[in-house]
Amino acid sequence: MVERLTADQGKTAPDISDEDIYEAMKEIPGYLDITPGDFKEVYVLAYRQAQERLLHRATAKEIMTREVAWVRVDTPLQEVAELMAQRGVSGVPVLDGANRVVGVISEKDFLKRMSSQGITNFMAVVAGCLRDKGCKAVGIRGRQADDLMNSPAVTVREDTPVLEIARLFKEKAINRVPVLDAQGRLAGIVSRGDLLNLAPFRGGKA
Amino acid sequence: MKYWQKMRGTTKSPPRVSLVEIAWSWLGAFLGILAVAYLNYQILSGTTLVMVIGSFGASAVLIYGAIKSPLAQPRNLMGGHVFSAIIGVSVYKLLPAAPWMAAPLAVATAIAVMHATRTLHPPGGATALIAVIGGAKIHSLGYWYVLVPAGLGALIMLAVALLVNNIPRTRSYPEYWF
Repeated sequence: MVERLTADQGKTAPDISDEDIYEAMKEIPGYLDITPGDFKEVYVLAYRQAQERLLHRATAKEIMTREVAWVRVDTPLQEVAELMAQRGVSGVPVLDGANRVVGVISEKDFLKRMSSQGITNFMAVVAGCLRDKGCKAVGIRGRQADDLMNSPAVTVREDTPVLEIARLFKEKAINRVPVLDAQGRLAGIVSRGDLLNLAPFRGGKA
Repeated sequence: MKYWQKMRGTTKSPPRVSLVEIAWSWLGAFLGILAVAYLNYQILSGTTLVMVIGSFGASAVLIYGAIKSPLAQPRNLMGGHVFSAIIGVSVYKLLPAAPWMAAPLAVATAIAVMHATRTLHPPGGATALIAVIGGAKIHSLGYWYVLVPAGLGALIMLAVALLVNNIPRTRSYPEYWF
């Protein structure tokens, strides 16, 4: 038990020493039937429990970005790319004519089409460009959003717990998820970076 | 952690309590043991009844000296002594001719039962042991040993603990009843 705690300490353990506990115990009159070490162990576990509780309680609504850049199914890929470049985002939701989120399109989807040996990262594309002639994006010139998007879109609701979103990111290997309101309309988007806005990571209140 | 490293310990001893605290522990223990000892030696002398057993000295450490401890709460004090007494008497009746086996069996089983009933009270182990090794006077009590001295003696000491431990502003007893 003790060993596991020290190994994990870097992650979420509060910075507290046996000495701190000892001093605190001195302030409580009467004999406390616990060693400072055991007390610390309880404290660390309780602290983690509280963090976990905060993560469970926080919902998508609290951390999502509301100003979402989005595209239509028939938006040309050139415009999609320009929009993503302009807004500095790595992915956008794709909406159909009825404003329903039908897919998500991300840098990764572009890279997938532009790299040859199945490696979907930027440097693979650079390597390809240096090796071959011409631009790798030529192949998708003239296509539109729904040719490239990931569909159906993985979405969450405004009241989805943040912990579940984190799990989704991991399970589906995605980096953002559109947030729908009660009527199913696009209300915002949560990216991996937004998770860092959580109270336990900021040291403030959510 | 490596086997041998574990033997070095991992932390330090809790701090010393204040002199005032020591004085209240002393007073509680004095009055608690006074009550059962007086009954034993002044009131019950000449009878077959016993009111003080060795394990009460250990209970006094807890209920007057470590009153915040879960081990010192009423549930543990009463349950620990009563359950352990039942175990001790039963084991002795089962193996009266083999105290070398009855003694460890009584103590170990008492601990297991106290754990299972959430009444762990270290002096209970002594109460179970005394039922086996306590001599003719204890043995002749039979299951009465469970009620007097174990149950009633613990109850008297509990009453003293409630009266004394709640006098000082810094003390409060119990933490919980059950």
